[in-house]
Amino acid sequence: MEAPQYVAARVQAALAEDGRTHELGIRVDIRGDQLFLRGQVSGAEQRERLGLVAHEAAPDLRVHNEIMVVEFTEPGEDEHLD
Amino acid sequence: MTELRIAAVGDIHLGEDVRGQYRKHLEGIEERADVFMLTGDLTRHGTLEEGRLVAEELRGLPVPTIAVLGNHDYHSDLQYEIAAALRDAGVIVLHDDGVVIQCGEVKLGVVGGKGFGGGYAGKCASEFGEREIKNFVAHTRYIAESWKVALKEMTADLKVVLSHYSPIKETLEGEPHEIYPFLGSYLLAEAVDTAGADLILHGHAHKGSEKGMTPGGIRVRNVALPVLGRAYAVYCLGENGAC
Repeated sequence: MEAPQYVAARVQAALAEDGRTHELGIRVDIRGDQLFLRGQVSGAEQRERLGLVAHEAAPDLRVHNEIMVVEFTEPGEDEHLD
Repeated sequence: MTELRIAAVGDIHLGEDVRGQYRKHLEGIEERADVFMLTGDLTRHGTLEEGRLVAEELRGLPVPTIAVLGNHDYHSDLQYEIAAALRDAGVIVLHDDGVVIQCGEVKLGVVGGKGFGGGYAGKCASEFGEREIKNFVAHTRYIAESWKVALKEMTADLKVVLSHYSPIKETLEGEPHEIYPFLGSYLLAEAVDTAGADLILHGHAHKGSEKGMTPGGIRVRNVALPVLGRAYAVYCLGENGAC
């Protein structure tokens, strides 16, 4: 059986290199037959695409897509650099 | 000289599914800032379609807008076409060069570009061994030298450096240490410390920290959108430090 570290590395590479996603910085963890994705992306569709690409790269694992969409507020207080 | 208010953000990673959403947050930017700066990774895949989308999102802003591109914007080898689309929309795009603009009473000089990696002093790659490693380090060194020359040749009241990659480690805190060499290089900070500047803005490190300083004491801010958690930051520079 392939070591989970190599599977995780392959999934992470797929998320970065697949033309549908090109997303760096997504954490991939494998526990048994479960695969967990964590990180932040700029939109909900990108999150769904990442889940799909991860599933294709490791079809035997159950993907838990815990990626969050970046939420940001209005500009806050100015910083004075004096 | 009066103070200057700089709005800044990076890593907005726009795509078709979020078209128009970021623009809403730029409403009223002229009330908050005198100039808007973007530190790269404006797109996800660096396609021309995404570049045009970003250009539309930034078109016609009521304050001067200056940008550099990031590694994502280079992915499809269309960085020059993306830059052209942005310029058509009125955005000043820097590629290892500089620009001086008049902001009210302040003559503002901005130097920058994508930057590159290699790591930080004592734990970095050097121009030794295989051609591939030499090329990697030489690319960063060439960029740093370009910025140094541009800063030295520039006459301005205030000088700001725009980069995508980070010149220091402090603003990477939160990222895995193992990937620091892919997040920036001390050569960028060394060049800016040598030539002098008032502020360095960068992005790239989504899990990093906002605030840091070069060894020479120049303030550095990581303005990646996930780091800021707000549409943009506003930094005030000037003699009285008040906005």
